[in-house]
Formats: sequence, C-alpha cells, structure tokens
Amino acid sequence: MTSNDVIALDGVSKTYKFGKIRVRALEDVTLTIGRGDFIAIAGPSGSGKTTLLNLIGCIDKPDAGRIVIDDVDVTRTPLHRLSTLRLNTLGFIFQTFNLIPVLSAYENVEYPLILQNVSPRQRDARVRRWLDEVGLADQWKQRPDQLSGGQRQRVAIARAMVTEPKLVLADEPTANLDSETATRILDLLAEINSRTGCTFVFSTHDASLIARAQQIVRIKDGHIHDVDAARAA
Amino acid sequence: MKTLLLAIALATEILARVDAARNTMNSFAVDVDLVATTNGKTETAKYRVYGKGSDRSVVEFVAPATEKGKYLLMLRDAMWIYMPTASRPIRISPLQRLMGQASNGDVARTNFAVDYNATNVETDGDAWVLDLTAKDPAIAYARIRLWVDKSTSEPTRADFYVVSGKLIKRATYRDHGERVEIEDLLRTGNKTEMRFSNRAPHDNADKMFTKDALGKW
Amino acid sequence: MLIKLAFRNVLRNGRRSAITLTVIVFGAVGLILFGGYKARTFWGLRESTIRGRIGHLQVYKEGYSKAQSQKPMEYALDDAASIRKQIERDPRVKMTAAQITLMGLVSNGEKSETFIATAVEPPKDRAMNNQKITAGDDLPDNESDAVMIGKGLAESLHVKPGDYLTIMTTTVAGSLNAMDVRVAGIFTIGVKEYDDRAIKMPIAGAQTLLQTKKVEKLLVFLNNTDDTSAVHQTINRNVHGIEIKEWSELAPFYHQVVALYNGIFGFLGIVVFAIVVFSVANTILMSVFERTREIGTLMAIGTTRGRLRTMFVAEGVSIGVIGGVLGLTIGALLAFAINKGNVMLPPPPGYTTGYRLQIMLQPAVLITAFLVSFVTATISSIVPALKASRMKIVDALGHI
Repeated sequence: MTSNDVIALDGVSKTYKFGKIRVRALEDVTLTIGRGDFIAIAGPSGSGKTTLLNLIGCIDKPDAGRIVIDDVDVTRTPLHRLSTLRLNTLGFIFQTFNLIPVLSAYENVEYPLILQNVSPRQRDARVRRWLDEVGLADQWKQRPDQLSGGQRQRVAIARAMVTEPKLVLADEPTANLDSETATRILDLLAEINSRTGCTFVFSTHDASLIARAQQIVRIKDGHIHDVDAARAA
Repeated sequence: MKTLLLAIALATEILARVDAARNTMNSFAVDVDLVATTNGKTETAKYRVYGKGSDRSVVEFVAPATEKGKYLLMLRDAMWIYMPTASRPIRISPLQRLMGQASNGDVARTNFAVDYNATNVETDGDAWVLDLTAKDPAIAYARIRLWVDKSTSEPTRADFYVVSGKLIKRATYRDHGERVEIEDLLRTGNKTEMRFSNRAPHDNADKMFTKDALGKW
Repeated sequence: MLIKLAFRNVLRNGRRSAITLTVIVFGAVGLILFGGYKARTFWGLRESTIRGRIGHLQVYKEGYSKAQSQKPMEYALDDAASIRKQIERDPRVKMTAAQITLMGLVSNGEKSETFIATAVEPPKDRAMNNQKITAGDDLPDNESDAVMIGKGLAESLHVKPGDYLTIMTTTVAGSLNAMDVRVAGIFTIGVKEYDDRAIKMPIAGAQTLLQTKKVEKLLVFLNNTDDTSAVHQTINRNVHGIEIKEWSELAPFYHQVVALYNGIFGFLGIVVFAIVVFSVANTILMSVFERTREIGTLMAIGTTRGRLRTMFVAEGVSIGVIGGVLGLTIGALLAFAINKGNVMLPPPPGYTTGYRLQIMLQPAVLITAFLVSFVTATISSIVPALKASRMKIVDALGHI
C-alpha cells in the first residue's frame, strides 16, 4: 500500500446475523482504490455492494481483515472515533438525498463546517462557493421540501464537498432521479472529480453511470469477481 | 381598742376549749356513714377514717362497691387519691378539691384552733359566735363564723366564707359532733350528712400517712 | 445552530408539539394554582391564629415552661407594666395584651360545670376579634365582674345575657374563692369543644379572684409577621428575667395543617410530575423514531453521539422553556381570574364557616412552576436522546 491509494482493503469479511440465519455479505475482499479515481461498484442487489460501501465509509466494521482509509487503519480505530475521520476525510451522498428538513439549503451545506468549528466568515465563503458550484446560488434559502429531486441532490453534493474531503461515497446517487436529471448530476460529479482530484466511489446499477466510471469493480455474492481497470475500449 | 383586745382574748380562749372538747384523741380511727343529696337524688357511702394529730388522715372507701378499695390521703397541704386500677396514687390539686366530696372533706377536717385566729366574739342566744380568720392564705376557707354552745363548748354551726367574702358552705353539728350536715350554698338542694361512729383510739404508724404507703395495706 | 435546530424541530410537528405543550402547561398551571391556594391557606391560618389568638410572641416569667406548674400563676410576671413599656417602645410592635388563663367551676345555683377562662384586657381582646358574639355584648371596659360565656356552656347552664353566675376557683395561695359574675354576652369561635367550656373575663376580675396583681403572660403583636425573630432578639437583649416563645412554637394545629397540605400536594405533585415526564418523553421518543434516517445521516457525516444527545436534550429544553413560559402566563392569568371571582369553599377541618377561594401568587411559586416545567421536559428528553445516540448508523440509514 502506498500513499497513492486512498482506500485499501485486505482480506475483509462481513457476516450478518438474522436470528439464526447467517448471511455472508462479503468474503475475503481485497481491493485498492487510488487517489482521484472515479470508481463504480457494480453488482446485483444482495451482492454486498452496499456493505462494501458502508465499510469503506467507516459506518460499519468488518469481522475480519484490514481497511486503510487515507493512510489510517480504520479497523484499529473504535467506531465512535471514526466520526471525526468521516467528518474531515469523507463525504456522503445518498440515494434518498437525506437532507435535514428543518434547515435551508444554505444551512444544510453549512452544517458540517459547524461541526468542524470553522469560523463564520470562512463558513459563509465556502458555503456560497459550493452552492454556486452546484448551480443553486439563488435557492440558498429554500428548504428541502421546496426543492426538486435534482436540486436536493445538488445540495447533498455541496454538503459532501464543502469539507474538502479526500473521498466521497455515493450509494445509488441517481436511483431516485429521472434520466435527464441523472445525467446532469453525473456530469457535475465527473466535473468535480476532475477539477478537485477528490476520489469518488459509487455503488450503482445505473448503466450510464457505470459507463462514465474510470474503473468498475464488479461484485457478486460477496466476492469481487472483476475489476475493470479501464472502460471497455 | 381595749374592747377589741378583750374580745380577741375571749374568742381565742373559747376556741381553745372547742379544740380541747373536739379532738381528744391523737391517733384514732372512726367509721363514717355519708348520705349526699344532689338535686333530689340521694347517694350513700361508707368510709373508715384513720387520723393522727390535726393534719393527717387517711380515708378508706368501704362502700359502695364501686368505690371500695380507694384510699384518700389528706395532709396539711396536699391530697392524694389511690385507686386500685391505677399503679400509683394521683395528687388532687386544690382546684380539683372544689369538686365532689373532696370539698366536703376539707370542711369536715377543718381544725379551727390550729388553722385560724379568733378575731372577734359575739353572742347569739345560747351560743358564742366567733369570727375566725385563716392564719395562712393557702387554707381553703379564708373566714369562718363559728357558733359555739356556751355550756358545752361544742360547735353547733359553722359558716364557711371564701376570700371574696362569699358564703359557700354551712356545717351544722349535732349529737355532740357525731353528726355533721354540710350544705352547699351555691347549689341549692345539695347537702351532705355525715355520721361518725366507733370513734376510738387506734395506733396509726407515721408512715401510713405517706403517698407511697397508700393502697399498700 | 443548536438552538435554531432545536426550536425548529420542536415546531416541526405542530400538532404533536401542541399536545406536549398542553401537558406541560397543565402541570405548570396546576402547580401555580395548587401552590397558590396552599400558600394562601397557610397565610390565612397563620395570620388568624396569630392575630386572633396567640400573638406573634408570648412573654412569660423565666421558668414558666419548665415548671409546667399545677399551681396557678406560680410563675407569673410581676412587673408587667414596665416590661410592656419597654417592649412597646419598638416601632415594630403594634400592641401588647396581658392574659391569665384559669380553670374552675361555674354554677348557676343548681348546676355546676367546669370552665376554662381566658382573662383579657377588653379593648385588646376586641382588637383581636377572635370570636363571634351570638347574643349580648363584648366585655365592657370597666366592669371587672362581667363575663362572656361560650355558646355550649351558656346552653348547658341555661343562661342568657343579663343573668348571673358564680365562678369558683382556688387563689394563687391555694384557698378557695368565688365570685358572682354577670353574663355580658355569649360567643362562639366555631369550635364546639372550646365553646362548651370557655369563659372570657376581664383580667382585673381574674386578678381579684386569684388574689394576685401579676399576669400570666404578655402577648406581643407586631405590624409584620416577618419581624418576629428580630423582635424576639431585641426583647431578649433589653428585658431580663423573662422567657419568650415565638408563635411558631405555640401553633401546633397550624403546623399540622401545613404538614397535611404539604403531604397531599406533594403527593399530587409527584403524580403530575410523573405524568408530564412520561408524556413528554413519549412525544420526543416518537419524534426520534420518525427521524431515524435523519439521525443516521447526521452520524454518518460526522456528528458525534455526544452531540446528537445534546441536540435532543436541547429539544427537550426548548419545549420546557416554551411550556414553562406559557404555563406561567396562563397560570398567573387564571389565578387573577379566580381571585376576582366568587368561588366558595367548604369549611376547613375544625371550623364551621366556608370561605372564598383565593390564590396567592408568590414569586417562589411562579419560579418553581417554571423550573419544574423546564427540568421535567429536560429530564424527559434524556432517555430519547440516549436512544437516538445509540442507534447503529447502518440500521438507521436503512430505516424507512
């Protein structure tokens, strides 16, 4: 593992227990993802892609193996300490947008900066910049229930980016959007990736998103069975 | 002035004779039959009284059956009652002596010569009438007018007055002191008659007249 | 941000918040009204006991209490006049009243009853205004052998104003004394056991009857009950050979009533408190469950569990503040309305007449009501906050 990799998984396994039934979600997964990559994790539902994303996102812990995020061995760190790592290093984008309903667009984007104790003036500058970047400068005062699906996801993207993370994780970011909006969101994500060098990892079964990915990690039944280094030529 | 002094001297002498005639025995015992009339109703009682000197006596309640077993100790300044149902004798305050037969006890045991000074004497037919004033402010009746038979030197009647001058009780003595009738002048129709019998000398030990001995013999 | 978030979340579900607030307001209003009623009752009982019967302070001769003497007036004040002069110099003192209590027999010529008499100075007794006169007049100022008889005693002796009775007792020395007295009036204080035995007579008459020039005690009345301890100390410094009791030591019934009411209202308070806690906790808990995914998101993007707990407790605090302020306002308004109105209550234990409902608004009661609302709401939010912070992020995010 070199510092060029932002993510490194080594022999990672995760099993879920549903009463008496044990489900192996991931089995002995080894994977590296480089800095600045734009990666799609593809697979059918139940393949373990959400679990993989959760483990990388440090919101769950593996039963075996090692995970290193941005040179930090997160398997050694207790879950409650990982919140700082998530705050500073990671960004999250959800299928269901997951904005805070009582806060405006501006305030939703501002929230992580407050957690980071950034000064008010700095906060304002960065929030405005990112709202601008996602094209929502005029909607800063609106609450999520006053925004369209696409607009909400833009706010979510701004929120994820405002902390200048090393890695952004997106679980089915376009699944709740119509195709036209989805395309525009994908363009935005690709553009941010190439401009900032932030690594993007998606889980998806959206073919057009998969097509845009630099690398595709195919996963099935808890195993990585294919990693396409480049788009199919 | 001279007449007054003369009167006092005479009165005192008569009083002394009364005293001599009355209490011839130092240590004695006597039976008492009592009939009390209250608002037309009559009640009777029997006692046995043990006395020593002029200021100590114990009254043993003999009848009726409800009173039997009680004892009353009368000392100069205090009265105690012992009841078989209680573990120790109870002191009767001066106030409580206002009520019931205890007040008549005060009257019956009045020692004219010891407790009173004779301050005047008059004549009323066959009797001298002495004005007696209590020597001590603690004595129950502040003033007494005592009728004394000139020939026998025995008291025939005594009027008892309280400090304010109000006449409260009247005692009438008959049969040479063997019968005494006490009238309550505040409550008309209330009177008590006591008959004394079998008065005889009786050797009473000193310690009999203590509150701790009450009820134990 | 925390406050903003807390208040907005409270207002989020208007109907549910309204219900929660109603419960809190109910609790606060209850505390204010019951507390105010209790305060008024205590105050009323205290003042009527003091001004009508025992005075703020009572002065006796030194040794009086310890002696518990059977002999009347064994420990009595010999120089009451000069002691009174000294005490009355204090501007905080309203007046002093000399008293003697005595017992004896009273007879109408056919029947006797025992009596307990309070011998008083007629003008001072009128100022105390403790009894209701049912026939005849108050004690005249200058007749030392006119008396007032309690209703029950008058009935038992078949007397009416103008009739004569004889009272008998023993003098301080121990000898018997009796006095004819004229019935000036018949009175009642509303307590049967008292009315069956009571006589009020002029202190001069009692002194003649008892053959003394002394008085048993001096009652000291102040302008302000709060001055009691201070005046007590002042008198102690300036007058010697006496002992002093404060009203509090002489009012066992008052203390019993206080204890009884405090017990009852304390119990009620606990019940109300429990209801409010459960109600508010339930509401916030429902809110927590509804926001499961939101909680998961917040934790995923870096909110610590501690911060999350604080967020929910802040919501509890917000409800508490809003509820407390509302409760205070409504409670105060209701109290005003009741005080202006004319709600009649039945007679309290031992008394024979009813009285008008009044609520005493004391700052202490209002502050307590607010604090209790506030604290209750905050406490109620603790368990929900803990539940929220203990959620597993993955499960929370997957929640519908």
